[in-house]
Amino acid sequence: MILQQLVNGISIGAVYALIAVGYSLVYSVLNFSNFAHGEILMLGSYVGFFALTQLNVPFVLSIALAMIGAGVIAILMEKIGYRALRLRQAPLLYFMISAMGLSIFLQNFTIVTIGPNFRTYPDVLPTQPFTLGNLSIGRIDLLIFAITVISLAMLTWLIYRTKLGSAIRAASYNMNVASLMGINPDLIVMIVFALAGSTAGIGGVLFGMKYTVYPWMGALTIKAFIAAVVGGLGSLPGAVLGAFVLGITETFAAAFVSSEFRDLFAYTLMITIIVLRPAGLLGTLTQEKA
Amino acid sequence: MSGYYSGIIILTCINLLAVLGLSLLTGFTGSFCFGQAGFMAVGAYVSTLLTMNYAAPFPLALFAGGLAGLLVSIPLGYPTLRLKGDYFAIATLGFAEAMRLIIENLEKITGGSRGIPGIPTHTNLPLILVVTFFFVWLVRNYVSSRHGRNCVAVREDELAAEAIAVDTFRYKQISFAINGFLGGLSGAFLAHYVGFIQPSMFGIPQSTQLIVMVIFGGMHSITGAVLAAIILTALPEVLRAADAWRLVAYGAVVVLIMIIRPEGLLGSWELSKDSLQDLWSKLQARLNQYKEQRLAKAKE
Amino acid sequence: MAILEFNGLSKFFGGVKAVDGFSYYVPEGNLNAIIGPNGAGKTTIFNLITGVYAPTDGDITFHGESLIGKKAHEIASIGIARTFQNIRLFPEFSVLDNVRTAAHQRADYSVLEGLFPTRRRKKQEQELTDYAYKLLELVDLADRAKELSKNLPYGHQRRLEIARALALEPKLLLLDEPAAGMNPDETADLMEFIQQIKEKFNLTILLIEHHMEVVMGLCDDIVVIDFGKTISRGTPDEVQSDPLVIEAYLGVGEDEA
Repeated sequence: MILQQLVNGISIGAVYALIAVGYSLVYSVLNFSNFAHGEILMLGSYVGFFALTQLNVPFVLSIALAMIGAGVIAILMEKIGYRALRLRQAPLLYFMISAMGLSIFLQNFTIVTIGPNFRTYPDVLPTQPFTLGNLSIGRIDLLIFAITVISLAMLTWLIYRTKLGSAIRAASYNMNVASLMGINPDLIVMIVFALAGSTAGIGGVLFGMKYTVYPWMGALTIKAFIAAVVGGLGSLPGAVLGAFVLGITETFAAAFVSSEFRDLFAYTLMITIIVLRPAGLLGTLTQEKA
Repeated sequence: MSGYYSGIIILTCINLLAVLGLSLLTGFTGSFCFGQAGFMAVGAYVSTLLTMNYAAPFPLALFAGGLAGLLVSIPLGYPTLRLKGDYFAIATLGFAEAMRLIIENLEKITGGSRGIPGIPTHTNLPLILVVTFFFVWLVRNYVSSRHGRNCVAVREDELAAEAIAVDTFRYKQISFAINGFLGGLSGAFLAHYVGFIQPSMFGIPQSTQLIVMVIFGGMHSITGAVLAAIILTALPEVLRAADAWRLVAYGAVVVLIMIIRPEGLLGSWELSKDSLQDLWSKLQARLNQYKEQRLAKAKE
Repeated sequence: MAILEFNGLSKFFGGVKAVDGFSYYVPEGNLNAIIGPNGAGKTTIFNLITGVYAPTDGDITFHGESLIGKKAHEIASIGIARTFQNIRLFPEFSVLDNVRTAAHQRADYSVLEGLFPTRRRKKQEQELTDYAYKLLELVDLADRAKELSKNLPYGHQRRLEIARALALEPKLLLLDEPAAGMNPDETADLMEFIQQIKEKFNLTILLIEHHMEVVMGLCDDIVVIDFGKTISRGTPDEVQSDPLVIEAYLGVGEDEA
């Protein structure tokens, strides 16, 4: 039973990891929490869904399309909602409010155009699970885990082994200095959003496959935030760690207390970390420079 | 006055009380609060339990609802107001959701997700108008005091505020507490107007709606908050627009406001004797200018 | 008698030693300066004094009392005011309100009284306004009192920031590169102004500067730092002729001039 819940926890943790990583990436470069990140995930999930059901493309292609679609939406989101604020060096509050506006807009636009119904992804895999003794591991969970590992590995390679990645890391430490070194801030921001969007798109497809697709999926962004906070805001490895910690612990909370307790537990976990270790498990609190 | 119009005014006042607190907290002090509905829920349930289980007089229940909101803000704000704005925003969101979940689970006391029906409808127009005016007046006074200026300093630049001896944490706490009180008060009025309460009435859509009103007009001006509450309560009632499209428009408008005019409708303009006199003299100057132009034209 | 004393003050950011064993003292009534190349750690020292950063090691005392562990607003309230390298005014406030807000300690009406228009409050508010206007007159900004501070030209914004710092009625004034971005004429005016306010308000002033003319003509004592460490101190003449200083800093400065 415990192992079973562990499997479930790792599975949802993997999805959280994909979302949290993109979220943390944007945070580390722009220093703000994109509350509308979840809507990118949601739209990516719909793209994948329609690619599979209307265009009948093979599964791998649908993920690719979701990635691209979500990446493009993320870039548009930045250009429409944040760019003007960024150039104006507007206070953080305005970014948060704009993010909220984008979130409301996209969510409700989806409701009135595509419709509020829950959609189920067609079965991409045979539905019988693998069984190892008492443990039954759904093939979906294996797929989710595999895709997450691959995506995170690729992202890690990109960030730590490529020139582009060092540019992104430079920008995350200090955008001004990075721009003095010849890095185009607009371009970096665009790329970062595209990356964050792509990972969210993948996450959206995976979540949609395991559960369903619906316009309020964006609420997952809160879990991504909690995961990032638990692991350390701004730290990418922290986001991944936090995501798995969150996924596993909240699954146990849901299993052993009640399913309604799941979300309550997630918030409690966040408050506990904020109180006891505000920098998160892997993060360091940066002090503002006067 | 027909029941329909007095209903709109009552709803406006209910929204306005909640928006008033939010205007102070998010608009003037700069702490983005995503969970105002949570405070309304606290006030609604506490006041309802008092009037229905203990036959408490309405004014006492109202006060208790507000006080409950205030008390809840203290442990919530203590760890979260020290940190960056986005932590606080998510924490307040989590608080509102947590309230909803807790209420749903304490079925014996709160009626769970079905809620509490048959609440005595004590809310009447004169009472809520007086109370609303009173608190608008109070908050308006606060905002124009040295404490209000300190709040704005906190919003504008926390580091600089500390450098001029402003205890930023304490001022955020005070604004949060006032917001909690007003949110609770608003919820108490709501419960005794609608006659029943359910957790679903106090969720993210409601919190969002209130924040949108603050963004619309209450970021830098209490007068603006009042105006925004009036417009955004009355307008949907009048237009009877489909809910979902209304929200789509809200979302787009919020982004537009941030890009074009983040100070909102009125900016920092406040209604006061001075500002009215100012307007009046500007108007007279315009009229005179116009008269002179007409005279000059007539001579040609 | 020293008003401000640094003892082995250090601040490390991870591997970077921003301030390394800084020991110095500022006698009361002096006008002293901390100079050094960019990134030497000067602003970090200011941030340590005002409680923005906590030191990794060492101590700072003000009138003999340690400042370590005090919150920034506490430090401001006991008499230390500062300006910032990148001006930090309150942009949406008017010129008047920038100063009037900073004067808030001169009033003492409570939060509760803030909710009501009492006579005492009205009186204190009037007093604050009058006081703010006096300070604005000092910096020649009284006629622009109602303008938004973000709309002022750069030089005026600097003056406003100083006026705001003065509103705290400080005993020690920390000025972080007050002449930054000014031409020689403006700099000369500023020098005169600093002298004036020092005498008028009985201040001790500690300056961070790059502009040699400001420092040399004005200061009683100078400490030169580089890479967080002290490399020289003394009167302007002594420092100017110190070969270590010339090598590390003034040499470069002369080339630029």
